[in-house]
Amino acid sequence: MKEAKTKSKNELLPGTLEMLILKTLSIGSMHGYGIAQHIQMLSAGVLTIEEGSLYPALQRMLVKGWVLAEWKISANNRRARFYTLTTAGKKQLGIEASRFSQMFGAIMRVMKTT
Amino acid sequence: MGSVLRRLLFFFQRNQFDRDLEDELRFHEEMKARALADADGLSGDEARAAARRRTGNRLRLRERSREPWIFPRVETLAQDVRHALRLIRRDPAFTVAAVATLALGIGLNTAIFSVAYGVLWRPLPYANPDRLVILSSAQQTTTGVRTFSTWPPMTYQGLRPRVTTLDHLAAYTSIDAQLTGRGEPLQMPALNVSPDFFATLGVSPVRGRAFLSDAAAPDDDRAVIVSDRLWRTSLQADPAIVGQSITIDGVLRTVVGVLPPDFTFRLVIPRLGALPDADIFLPNRWPADSGRNASLFLLGRMKAGVNKERAEAEVTALVNDPSIAPSGTLAAAGVFAPNVRTLAHAGGLQEQGTASARPLLLILLGAVSFVLLIACVNVANLQMSRLTARRGELCVRMALGAGRRRIVRQLLTEAVVLSLLGASLGVMLAWLAIHVTLPLVPQSVLPGLGGIMIDARMMVFCLGLSLVSTLLIGLVPALRVSGAAFGEGLALHAGAARATGDRQGERLRTLLVAAQIAMTLVLLIGAGLLIRSFVRLTSVSPGFESTGRDGVVQTVRLTLPERLADEPERIHAFARGVVDRIQSLPGVTSASLINSMPFGRMFIQGDVDIEGQPKPTLFAGAPKIEPGYFRTMGIPLLAGRDFTPRDTAAAMKVAIVSERIVRECFPGGPGQALGRRVRVNVIDRGEWLTVVGVVADIRQMSLEREVQPMIYVPFQQDHSGFLRYVAFVARTSTPGSAVEGIRTEIRRVAPDLPIQSTVTMDEAVAASVAQPRFRTVLLALFAASATLIATCGLYGLMAYAVTQRRREIGVRMALGAGRRDVLRLVLTRALRIVVAGVIIGLAGAAGVTRVLQTFLFGVTPTDPIAFTIVTLLLMAVGLMAAWLPARRATRIDPCAALRAE
Repeated sequence: MKEAKTKSKNELLPGTLEMLILKTLSIGSMHGYGIAQHIQMLSAGVLTIEEGSLYPALQRMLVKGWVLAEWKISANNRRARFYTLTTAGKKQLGIEASRFSQMFGAIMRVMKTT
Repeated sequence: MGSVLRRLLFFFQRNQFDRDLEDELRFHEEMKARALADADGLSGDEARAAARRRTGNRLRLRERSREPWIFPRVETLAQDVRHALRLIRRDPAFTVAAVATLALGIGLNTAIFSVAYGVLWRPLPYANPDRLVILSSAQQTTTGVRTFSTWPPMTYQGLRPRVTTLDHLAAYTSIDAQLTGRGEPLQMPALNVSPDFFATLGVSPVRGRAFLSDAAAPDDDRAVIVSDRLWRTSLQADPAIVGQSITIDGVLRTVVGVLPPDFTFRLVIPRLGALPDADIFLPNRWPADSGRNASLFLLGRMKAGVNKERAEAEVTALVNDPSIAPSGTLAAAGVFAPNVRTLAHAGGLQEQGTASARPLLLILLGAVSFVLLIACVNVANLQMSRLTARRGELCVRMALGAGRRRIVRQLLTEAVVLSLLGASLGVMLAWLAIHVTLPLVPQSVLPGLGGIMIDARMMVFCLGLSLVSTLLIGLVPALRVSGAAFGEGLALHAGAARATGDRQGERLRTLLVAAQIAMTLVLLIGAGLLIRSFVRLTSVSPGFESTGRDGVVQTVRLTLPERLADEPERIHAFARGVVDRIQSLPGVTSASLINSMPFGRMFIQGDVDIEGQPKPTLFAGAPKIEPGYFRTMGIPLLAGRDFTPRDTAAAMKVAIVSERIVRECFPGGPGQALGRRVRVNVIDRGEWLTVVGVVADIRQMSLEREVQPMIYVPFQQDHSGFLRYVAFVARTSTPGSAVEGIRTEIRRVAPDLPIQSTVTMDEAVAASVAQPRFRTVLLALFAASATLIATCGLYGLMAYAVTQRRREIGVRMALGAGRRDVLRLVLTRALRIVVAGVIIGLAGAAGVTRVLQTFLFGVTPTDPIAFTIVTLLLMAVGLMAAWLPARRATRIDPCAALRAE
């Protein structure tokens, strides 16, 4: 667990965190805890997003207009802030995703050479 | 773009943001706690504690969440400002000294600039004022170049249809008009104007209309246009005033227009100064045969594309053209010497009006900016000393990564805050100065006083000044910080950085203080020169005795209405009657009358002929007096006799000449002049008069000018139009009751006659030196301020030096130096700084004081007495400033000093 945490803090390429959050929100609007849980579950525990990274990232995206925030009642009747993807956010998701696969492809090509 | 807007919105919702984040984090924490409780079986509290531990640094999280929303540069600026304010609060002594010094410098500058702007540069309230010109003329005669500012009506009528370079050519004269029938009879300045006067200026009355021009209704001859001020005061701001009648000079006139509130027309008579603004405007056509008694000012509006030289050339050609006037040229129609070429001069309206005040105001501006410089240097020095004290802290901060630029930015922010505080206080000071002192300044000193105020333009100027002072104050410390030697001399003791000797800083401060002293010296010398001039000026004897054993000379001046101009006998009777009655008033030793009072506003003079001698080159005054004048005024009679009641209109025409005429024309002495015949030609050729007496010279217009030759004529024997201007003079020991008595006598004969002024001759003479007094007082004030500021600067420097050198002084005292030696040490150091500044200042003063040349009287710009006195004074002041720190130095306990560091 600890290793994964370190990994997610130090070794994620810049912008990857935003991409993951945008992708998560493309499924539906969620609150911060839900986003972190979703990513953790889908990555089988490899990627753990701590609050220290998550909320600043969410604020950055709010400033840039990629997401909108709204206070709603959660599944267990608590008040929580839900984030929704905007049209600009959807577009950004596409850009980030393609950029990431480019990077990933390039890295893999380098690594594949024996 | 959107992000900027969103961030702006954040600015207003900061608190809400913090609360939302708190709630969000709490929610997240609770969810985590529940997950932990479910997964690891912890209790509620344990789970919550575990969750909180895992959250990490809350504060850092909050900061990082806020980061995307703020404008980084604004944030740092806000931080800097807050830091600066904190520093200011922490050190109130420094703040008060700095802000007060800046306020003095900025306030004085703003005040003087407002005055200069209001008098010199404020755009005149006319259309395209730079197209307006005043025509004057110059003639080269045997006695030199004579300039005339007025023209005869024939010249005006001849020029008007022919001049092509001017769109309009209007004429005007200044008169006094009496308004009766609306409350108390009032005498006020008025203008006789040609009908196209307002059209030339491009101004229309805000109520009613301007005068009809030329061809139209001769009914307009009875029209009158009034100023806004008169409408508001004497006419009760009656909205239906247009069409009503008022009585001017005994004649019923119809008000056809009221001028706009901001309208002024400043009439400046060369050598006499500015006249008060006119309240009444009367139309006058001045037909060509108006006679030579009228002399008109001409105002023209140049056509587009015409410049002053072209207009001048055309008018000169027209005026000298013999084919225009019936008998010779237009020039010969007036008082110009015949057969001599007359040169016309076209001067811009604004320049003409301000020419007298401009040199003075420019000098004052220069002087007052010196004061600002000195003030800024002081504050810069204060900043420097603070900087030295903080050197340790700043170096540590820079070592920790603050970066030099950040520190410099912070220092500049401090400078800005100080400057803005100083500027706001300064503006209030300026406002106070203007509203309190300006009403005390006589109108003749500065024309256009009414237009001076602190308005938006002045505020902008003030802000500009504060910017300049910011740069001056902040740049020096900032440069020091950026300098490589900033950290020099810092010693780290037991982990703490201590600021020991800051040699470079002290050298810089010493240089600045020396510069301050140099500038102060220049100002002091300027003030000293003016003071000496003023003392010289006021010690000049006017030639008459305005205060004596028998009391003072009281005058009562009035102008008789114009309709009496054709009835000189009535004026004679009025004058004789009132003088006789005044002489028998209690407390009055003698009384008389004259028509152009010395140091009054009017002076009539003409050229002189002496029977049996070649024509002298001088011009003589031609006042008309009643018998007893010389005795009343205390003017000694040198030969012959005074006029008597027997010198009536029917008797032989006599005259009394002044000493100067005797000196120039009768080398045999006063006795030789008696019995000879002289003639003075003012406008027309005069009659031959027999000299019956010789009196001493007096100064007629000002103490500066040389004595005026005079040919006195009995009032009863004169029939000119100048009889209307009457000044009763009385020597009395009780001036107050004498004035009342005279007033009563006048009212007995002419109840509707307003009194123009009642001053004693002393007051009149004092008023004539109002301008020199004004500029002397102001410059002395600036010099005093500068001295005060520079003294504080020197004091601060010496105090600092003593504190810095405690060790050294302690060592000296331990090695046997006595109190007196230490005193001498400090004082000589101070003296060296002062002397250095004085030397630079003397060199500067020798060059700069030349600009004061026109204002000096009996003193040269390099007057050695003034230079010497000022130098000694400044050195004494410098020593005084260093005295206290020197004494403190002697009190240093050597043991304590050596131990402490």
